[in-house]
Parts: sequence; structure tokens; C-alpha cells
Amino acid sequence: MSDPGTVAIVLFAVMGLLLASGVWVAVALTAVGFVAMHFFSPAPAGSLLASTVWDASWNWALTALPLFIWMGEILFRTRLSEDMFRGLSPVVGRLPGGLLHVNILGCGVMAAVAGSSAVTCATIGRMSVPELTRRGYDERLIIGTLTGSGTLGLLIPPSIMLIVYGVVAQVSISRLFIAGVVPGVMLIALFMGYVAIRAKLDPSLAPPFEERLTWRETLARSRLLIPVTLLIFLVIGSIYGGYATPTEAATMGVIGALILAAWSRTLNLASFMDALMAAVRTSTMIALILAGAAFLSISMGFTGVPRVIAAEVKTWNLSAWELLAVLTLLYIVLGCFLDGVSMMVLTASVVLPMVKDAGIDLLWFGIFTVIVVEMAQITPPVGFNLFVLQGLTGRDILKVTRASMPFFGLMVLGIVIITVFPGIVTAPVGWMISR
Amino acid sequence: MGGPAASRRGALRRGLDGLYLAAGALAGLFLAGIAVTIVAQIVARQLGGTIDSTETAGFCLAASTFLGLAYAFRRGAHIRVTLLIGRAPAGPRRWLELWCVAFSIAAVAYFLWWSVDFVWFSWKFDEISPGLMAIPLWIPRSAMAVGAAVFLVALVDEFVSILRGEVPSYEANAEHILESGE
Repeated sequence: MSDPGTVAIVLFAVMGLLLASGVWVAVALTAVGFVAMHFFSPAPAGSLLASTVWDASWNWALTALPLFIWMGEILFRTRLSEDMFRGLSPVVGRLPGGLLHVNILGCGVMAAVAGSSAVTCATIGRMSVPELTRRGYDERLIIGTLTGSGTLGLLIPPSIMLIVYGVVAQVSISRLFIAGVVPGVMLIALFMGYVAIRAKLDPSLAPPFEERLTWRETLARSRLLIPVTLLIFLVIGSIYGGYATPTEAATMGVIGALILAAWSRTLNLASFMDALMAAVRTSTMIALILAGAAFLSISMGFTGVPRVIAAEVKTWNLSAWELLAVLTLLYIVLGCFLDGVSMMVLTASVVLPMVKDAGIDLLWFGIFTVIVVEMAQITPPVGFNLFVLQGLTGRDILKVTRASMPFFGLMVLGIVIITVFPGIVTAPVGWMISR
Repeated sequence: MGGPAASRRGALRRGLDGLYLAAGALAGLFLAGIAVTIVAQIVARQLGGTIDSTETAGFCLAASTFLGLAYAFRRGAHIRVTLLIGRAPAGPRRWLELWCVAFSIAAVAYFLWWSVDFVWFSWKFDEISPGLMAIPLWIPRSAMAVGAAVFLVALVDEFVSILRGEVPSYEANAEHILESGE
């Protein structure tokens, strides 16, 4: 047919036009897939569209996705975020940086159970911004810790983004979940270390912790953290131990979340239905994008565009390092305009073969991509966490962005660390009990 | 209020909203159904029986996704890039919204056509699912066609409303993170 170079340019132009004019991402992906297949390949677009979308929609690996979303929605309707704040504050209050660590750890845990970073940011922030401002904490650090650690949920399992990657790249979701744990904890440690150092250097940034609690009280307060900790261990532990598939673990997570909600007396018919329907909205949205992306990637395969681009990139003779640097830049630029899921599925059909060719482990690359996507959540003009904090604090987007930049830098550092020491990602997977 | 025309319109509005909500509620039921089939499998395994939930969970997932399309659309859940459209002044914005909805109508209509064809052929050739349950595939696959049909109705409905000068439902009903919650 036509020359793949021209085809690539036409397809990118159509995609850019559709997305920029505001057409829904899932529709745009499918439409570009149609253009690619109908005009640039001999394959029958219509019947392949129906069968590809169907196959992508009842994928077993994907069944964990709505359940984890549902689990998060149930937990959001409990008093979890208050408990987290009250439980964590006596534990971390005495560290240099004080209650700023509540933002980081609170977001880390909350995001782990919820998987959506903007909502995490909003839930923890709504409570902690007034509290910390009242106590005289530095505003930029309050904002930065929230936007930065709100993104952790994309990485720490159960993570929606890792499920999406696993489905797109056909990598085991169990293994991705295990691989995400250590880098997630590492990023938390980097964030906390940074805050502690800043507070040590300039004590005016964080006032001393004035609450005087006895050991008994501290213990009583930290008991509030037990239920959610148990739930996370139950979910991740059962996957790690090889007792459960991600879908089974997610089912247990839903049941655990319902028990937790009943125990905290926030479960009633209205909140149950609210959570279920919210899960329907999010999971429908993501599943439709994945179905559209599946069709796009098959169409792209027919046109030969990914092969041509991969061959072209090969002639640049990039080392694996350089390729990763280029991809990081690409994702950061894309992240200025697109959200994480769209970015990941949009690039998959071209980027994944290239990465595989360069001899990069797809499991490791999943964690890498998710960290880069996290960074995209705090790059203007489209960075969901920035919008949330803008709304919460009333500060303009530039100020919020500036406050977030140190954390952006820390994530870049995180990427460098996992690139130099890939074992951080891959070693724990090797220690898994089965599979 | 108004004559018979206005009340007919009110009835139509209620009927359509009911349709989207009913499909959405079914989507919720099927989402919960995924968890139910998994629990059934685990329980059966303990009791020494066999229930294969791999397929049924997948069918529930697909049904939930497609039946939820229109409902999620009306609630502004489907994402898009609002960088330009969000900044456009009211006049051009209306034209842009009409373009987006019209384009989606064309895309979904095409998809619906081929989904129906797909379901028709799986019925005609008696396609059976590969797992233990051996379910005739036209049954779960028809959820795809039904969901796409309801989605198409919602899109046409939306097009007419925007043409009449109303705010698109996906804007009016969208959740704003900061206003929701306690």
C-alpha cells in the first residue's frame, strides 16, 4: 500500500486533531484504528473492530480492574482518611518535618487502596491543608508533599495503572504488583528524606509537634491504622504468596472493604450503591479506552507503522540508556496534554516492540513507565494533582507547580536509581512463592 | 405547564433518563456479579466442586462495561482533552461540542452495526464458549450490541440538547472532585 512513513504522519495528524478538538479518548483511538485499517490495509475493518473490541472486553486479566476500583470507592466512603490523619500524626509528628510526613504516608496508603491519584490528593488534602496551615507549616511544602505523594497510588499495588499496563503489554499482573512494592516504598522514603532534610536545615518550615501524648495514647491512636494495614497485607500478601490471582485478591479486597465500612458504621444502602455506581463509571471509562486501544494496536500492526518506526529508531543506534532517556522525555511531553491511562495505551503499540527489541525487560519497563506517568500528573498544563491543589488552596497553578517541582525532581532521581539498580524492581518477583 | 407537546417532551426526557439509568444499574449488577462468581468459585473449590469463573467473570465484565457506557457518558466519566474546548468562548464551544458528539455518533453507529453483525453470526454458527460452561457466545456478546445501542441513543439525545442550546449533560453532571465528598 502506501509508504509507512506517510501513513504514520497521517495517523498522528488525525489522532492529534481528534484529541485536541475534544473527542473522547476512547472514540478517538478507535477512529484512528479504523482509518489505519480501512485506508491503509486490506483487512476488513468492521468485522475486526467488533471481534477485537469483544476479545479485549472479556479479558480475564482485566476482571481485577473494576473490583479494585470498587474496593477503593467503598473505602473512600468510610472514615478512613480521618483515621489515617489521627493515627499517623502521633507516630510521625516527632520526626523533623513533623506532620508533613502524614501527607506523604497518608497519601501513600490511601492511594494504595484507591489507585486514583487526584482523588487521593483531594481526600487527604481537604483535611490536612487547613490543619497544617493553621499550625504554621510552610505552604510550599504542604502543597508539594500532597501533589507529589498523591501520585504514589499509581505505583503501589493494587494499582489500576499497573493492571492497565499488564493488559496492554501482556505481562503478569501479579508480578507487576510485586515489582511495584519496593520502588513505591523507595519513593516514599525519598520524599520523607527530602522533607526531613529541608526541615532540619530550616526549622521555620515545620513547627515542632506540640501535642503531648503518652505512650498509651499514641498506641490507642495508631490502632486506627490497623484495619487498613491488614486489608493491604491481605490483598498483596495473597498475591505474593501465590494463594490468589489478582482477581481473587480484589474480590477479597472488596469483601474486606465492606466489612471495614460496616465496622466503622458508614455502610448503608445509599453508600453501597454510590460506591458501586462510581466504580461502574470509572471502570467503564477505562475498559472502553482499553478496547479502543486494542483495536488501534491491531490496526497499527496491519499498517506496519510500528515496525518502520522501530527500524528508524534502530538506525539512531541508541543504547538502552539513551532510548529510556528519549522515552522519558516523550512521556513527560505527552503528559502535559494527556492523562496516564491514555498516554500508556496510546504509545504501547509503537513503544513496546521497540523496548523489547532493545532487550529491556517488559516487567521492569512497566514500573519505569508508571513512575514517568506519575511525573506527568504534576506537569502543567494538564496535571490532575495540580488542579486539585489549585482548587483546595486557591493558589494559582504556577505557584502549585513550583511547589511540586522538587518532588518531580525526586521522581527523576527514583527513575535513575531503578535504572542503575534494576534489581530493586525485579529481585522481589524472583522471590515470589509460586509462578 | 405547557401544552400536550411540553408534557410529551417531559415524558420522553424521563423515559430516556430511565433507560440510561436502568442500563447503568444493570452494569452495576454485572460488576458485582464478577465478585459473586469469584466467591462461588472459591467456595466450590473448598467443597470439592468445580465452578469455572474465568469465563463468567469475563462475561460479567464485558456486560458491565457496555451497559454502563451511556450512563458513564451522561455523568461525564469518559475522559477527553479539554485543553482547547475548555477555554473556547461559548459560541465556538457549542460548535466544538456538536462536532465531538456528531463524530461520536458516526463512530458508535458504525460500531453498533458491526456488533449486531458479530452477534448475528455467533448465533447463526452456534459459537460456543471454550470453557466448561459451553455458553452460546451470542448471549454475552449481545450485551455489547445492546450497550452500544443505548450509547447511540444517548449521543443523539445529547446532540439534540446541545442544538437546542442546553449545557451538555456530561458537563452539567460531571463530578468535580472538590465539591463531592462530605
